Amino acid sequence: MLKKVIKMRNEVSLVKADWDGKNIKEYVFSALNLIGFKPQGSVNSVAIKPNLCYYWNAATGYTTDPIVVSGIIDYLRENFGSDVNIKIVEADASAMQTKYAFPILGYTKLAKEKKVELLDLSEDAIEEREVEVNGRKIPFRVPGTLLKSDLFINVPKMKIMRATHITCALKNVFGCIALPRKVIYHPFLEEAIVGINKILKPHLNLVDGLVALGRFPIRLGLIMAGEDPFSIDWVAAQIMGYNPSKIKFLKLAVKERLGNPEDIVILGEELETFRKDFPKENIIVSKVKMSLQFSLLKAYKTIVGDVIPPTLENA
Amino acid sequence: MLKVGIIGLGQMGSMHLANCLHMNNVKVVAVADPSERALKRSTVFGRYKIYADYKQLLDNSHDLDAVIISVPNHLHFEVVKLSLESGLNVFTEKPLAINTQQCENIVKSVRDSGRKLMIGHNLRFVDAIEKMKASLDRGHIGSLETATIEEIVNGPFSHPVNPVPVAEWWLDPQKSGGGALMDIGYHMIDLFRFFTGEDAKVVFSNLSYKYNLPVEEGAIVVLSTSKSSIKGIINVGWYQRSVFPRYNFRVILHGNYGYLSTEKFFPRNIYLHAVKEGLKNFLRRISGKKLRPLSYTYYYEAYYKELKTFFNCLENDLEPPVSAVDGLKAIQIIEESYKLSNAKKSD
Repeated sequence: MLKKVIKMRNEVSLVKADWDGKNIKEYVFSALNLIGFKPQGSVNSVAIKPNLCYYWNAATGYTTDPIVVSGIIDYLRENFGSDVNIKIVEADASAMQTKYAFPILGYTKLAKEKKVELLDLSEDAIEEREVEVNGRKIPFRVPGTLLKSDLFINVPKMKIMRATHITCALKNVFGCIALPRKVIYHPFLEEAIVGINKILKPHLNLVDGLVALGRFPIRLGLIMAGEDPFSIDWVAAQIMGYNPSKIKFLKLAVKERLGNPEDIVILGEELETFRKDFPKENIIVSKVKMSLQFSLLKAYKTIVGDVIPPTLENA
Repeated sequence: MLKVGIIGLGQMGSMHLANCLHMNNVKVVAVADPSERALKRSTVFGRYKIYADYKQLLDNSHDLDAVIISVPNHLHFEVVKLSLESGLNVFTEKPLAINTQQCENIVKSVRDSGRKLMIGHNLRFVDAIEKMKASLDRGHIGSLETATIEEIVNGPFSHPVNPVPVAEWWLDPQKSGGGALMDIGYHMIDLFRFFTGEDAKVVFSNLSYKYNLPVEEGAIVVLSTSKSSIKGIINVGWYQRSVFPRYNFRVILHGNYGYLSTEKFFPRNIYLHAVKEGLKNFLRRISGKKLRPLSYTYYYEAYYKELKTFFNCLENDLEPPVSAVDGLKAIQIIEESYKLSNAKKSD
């Protein structure tokens, strides 16, 4: 596995691309060249982790577009040779099984075309690890492939999320935890996100912002790259219209010395190019609205004794 | 008092159980499910005999009047047949069974047993559908010429609000009988037959396999009725992110004088509707009147109404409005659609 070179500054490149993935190779190469991505040592094995949290495809803004991963594969083949072993990896989640997500979201087809492997991280050889974050010891089931690959490439989607405001690079690493029912971490989600990122450190993060998700999906046409996932999230938060220093897991990451906002340098396009188009969601209002709906429903059920629809039984 | 057993305590079975508790003339006396968790969860509703194996429930069914069956599709045939053979009246979730042969077999069993069987074609009992049918039958739109019936939802893929993995049987055609067409197309086909009052044949069918699964995630089927040549366009899909309480389902009936649309009959503001109906139920509760369960959702109430209709048929010796033959006809059309489909599975 390659050693991560500690840089004094963390570059994040912003590249304006075609939202539909046309000429993706050119944009991926451009984003990587801007940050001067150059792994030290030989690269024989690569794990690429897109975000496949649900079965809704990239056009909804929920999942990573396979075309972005295809651009990365092209980059790897051109720079490290055609025989480099590439795996596209994802772990099962509470509501998603990779065995369905891979074909539904176009990854089975991509793997066949590009002759790469697909790996369900939930079935990988597991290492049990424990880290302390904010005084809390958190156990993780960590997939061995991610610890052993020469290159671990994180390919998150840029989107909002009620629980954490934003989800991008650091949260996509959380998705690597081999345990499918990751909802067990939700009561201390910020600590868990920071915790797993203390163990798993991607060598490269390349964000799919071709279609991003705010209040609704938006064809943003953004490709963002950086070696430091914290820096990526710090910039992504601003593009999505939030103050990153107010986002709990980013604040905690700073406290736990996972990243330093002062080291971040933005290269390529201006941040404003993308921020002006992003449909920001007022997360607080959205959370209050959601919680009010469920609280009223539960109170109504208790007082009146009515039936709750099956889809909301465990909500 | 009708004594009832419930076989299958998944999402639908649990809701039927909860709905039964709001009926004065029904007492649930036994439940069966292989899942210990489901059985345990059911005990919050009341006390009844509990069985891990439904056959044990049937073996001890001498005091039962009826069973409600909510099991995976491939088990419908066996469970319905054995229930009828045990001398029970049956309310079963749709589809009646997963192929024509099984359905015909059940139709015969119903006839031979002399028992009543009703299938959960819940959409017929949605307020908006009932009103549209009444309006159509009174001639308000003239003669019906075409109908567009569509439902695009999340299908078996769980809602993020309640994240659970998709049950394996849904995506196995041997067990589910098919994908979106079998799941929701079944209802749309039944609605077309319900509105037209005629049998129909398939004139066009196109299934979508963009999800690369063994079953289709979308289907467009065009039907034509045998007598009046009324055309129906059925459009169903499992591909859309559904967010409760919104429900992407609509029917448009085009007549030669005017048209009817569910959009006109559904509440304009679903939140206001929920508050209004919730308050009404609250007043019913404090004045000791019976609730209208789930009326606040504007479409889930149909599950209560269909069950109530079934029990009413048992008490008054009436023929259930949705018979085994209705289930058979829907399955025949689905099988024909699969045969006719000119879609090629994408790589």
